[in-house]
Amino acid sequence: MAVPVRTKTRRRQQLEQALLYPLDWTEERSGLVGAVKYFLFRKVPGDISWGHTLGSASLTAFLVQAITGAILAMYYKPHPDTAYESIQRITNDLTLGWLVRGMHRWGASVFIILMFFHMARVFLFGAYKYPRELNWIIGALILILGMFEGFTGYLLPWDQTAYWATVVGVNLQGTGPFVGPFLINILNGSAHIGVDTLSRFYAIHMLLLPGAIFALIGLHLWLVIRLGVTSPPWSPDGAGSGDPDGDGRRPARRGLSRRSRGGTE
Amino acid sequence: MSTVQRHKNRRVVEREATYKQYKADVASRGKPFYPWAMFHDTVMSLIVVSVMIALACIWYFTSGESAEDVGWLGPRYAEPADAGTITFVPRPDWYFYFLFYLLRIFKWPNTVILGTVGIPTILMILLFALPFIDVRRERRIIRRPVAAVAILLTAISMGILTYKGATAEEATAANEKTINALMEANNLPDDVKPGVQLFFQSGCTSCHTYAGEGSSNAGAPDLTDIGSQEGKDAAYFKRYVANPRAFGNNVMPVFEGLGDENLQQLANFLEASKGEAGPGGG
Repeated sequence: MAVPVRTKTRRRQQLEQALLYPLDWTEERSGLVGAVKYFLFRKVPGDISWGHTLGSASLTAFLVQAITGAILAMYYKPHPDTAYESIQRITNDLTLGWLVRGMHRWGASVFIILMFFHMARVFLFGAYKYPRELNWIIGALILILGMFEGFTGYLLPWDQTAYWATVVGVNLQGTGPFVGPFLINILNGSAHIGVDTLSRFYAIHMLLLPGAIFALIGLHLWLVIRLGVTSPPWSPDGAGSGDPDGDGRRPARRGLSRRSRGGTE
Repeated sequence: MSTVQRHKNRRVVEREATYKQYKADVASRGKPFYPWAMFHDTVMSLIVVSVMIALACIWYFTSGESAEDVGWLGPRYAEPADAGTITFVPRPDWYFYFLFYLLRIFKWPNTVILGTVGIPTILMILLFALPFIDVRRERRIIRRPVAAVAILLTAISMGILTYKGATAEEATAANEKTINALMEANNLPDDVKPGVQLFFQSGCTSCHTYAGEGSSNAGAPDLTDIGSQEGKDAAYFKRYVANPRAFGNNVMPVFEGLGDENLQQLANFLEASKGEAGPGGG
């Protein structure tokens, strides 16, 4: 009976080897498989809560924006003569065009709200403190760039709301000291809001800002993986909540220390 | 303690020890990201995508192809952009409402820079500097009274400003009757009537107020007695409205597009605006 089992195992071994070969090949040349394994099976504090899902939820919202945005870009025509008509066509005529545009339009609000909630969670948990200061700054940059995405995207339908909100918005930025007037020229592309402004906003909205946001999200995630996520500060069993004096002892009043109270740990 | 650590201050030593402890705790008692945390993340992401689809559906199915068919969440699109007609209501997307309303509080020209640049810049600096201002190791919000008060005040003021921005009254283009009453109350001569009509129809009242009409936005001044200011005559107003930038005003849009004749009418009206007393009462 031992013999058939051995054959089966060998066959399975061969099969597994054949299946895993591409993975081994990739791993040997890039180390990517190990990186993904590390990402998936790294330890996180055992007491993390639903509040910790807001970051990945923001990422999901951003990815939806990227995908729906790419589809919209295939049909949108960034010129004052054609932009409005192309928006009408996307919304009313194209199959599921309304869904893609609707998700992009409302997804923008969802993305902004989630970023604000995520930031509030990080603030309440004091998760921006040492050694995560840099990641707070990167996050704040993503939030501001995200709001600029909202500002530049608002003009693209080229309707009255879009046009006049942008007239006022651009002019407001023009009140900035020293750089204000230059900012107006950079954004408008000319003295007035017109052809150049629309293509400029389009390029900023779908190339410049998303590229920057993607890069910053990459950095943000890298730091999250490197530094780890914080336990909720009220958690009695929170990671790192013991030993507040840095003297190698844990305080008696916290959950973590219960084990060390008797000095038997 | 090592030699290096002896030179560090107590705060640095403490926070390094806490983080070391955190790493050790996670290594010994943590759970693997997959499947433990990833399950929660996936559920939350599915909810997010569902909410987006739901919003898109509600928006699309309650509105119509026409720009007037508003639906529950707003129209699919407004009328096409037109730089000429200018019966516009400048209003940003909702997450800029707090900024939009902040600008109503400050008036042109003295303090508007506070609203457009000053306060947002200070808030932005505070946002970026937060981890360097709050360097204590304490993370429980109940034991961080300053942080707790700060976030509460920020949330409340952002909420109020957003709400005020959302419910702020729009300027309404005055009808014939209102215009006549307004002209009489301000003792305006009959020949400036085309200018008054133009003023109300061209969207000036979206930012300017005039004898209680219109809504104050972006720090634009009240124009009821603008004509009584020294050195400001029709020629001055005409040049100003045509291109406010030439006068250092970068907030007001350029109205060159109105054309020479319309600009002259507007300028005549503004020149005749000497407050409630009017030109006759001096």
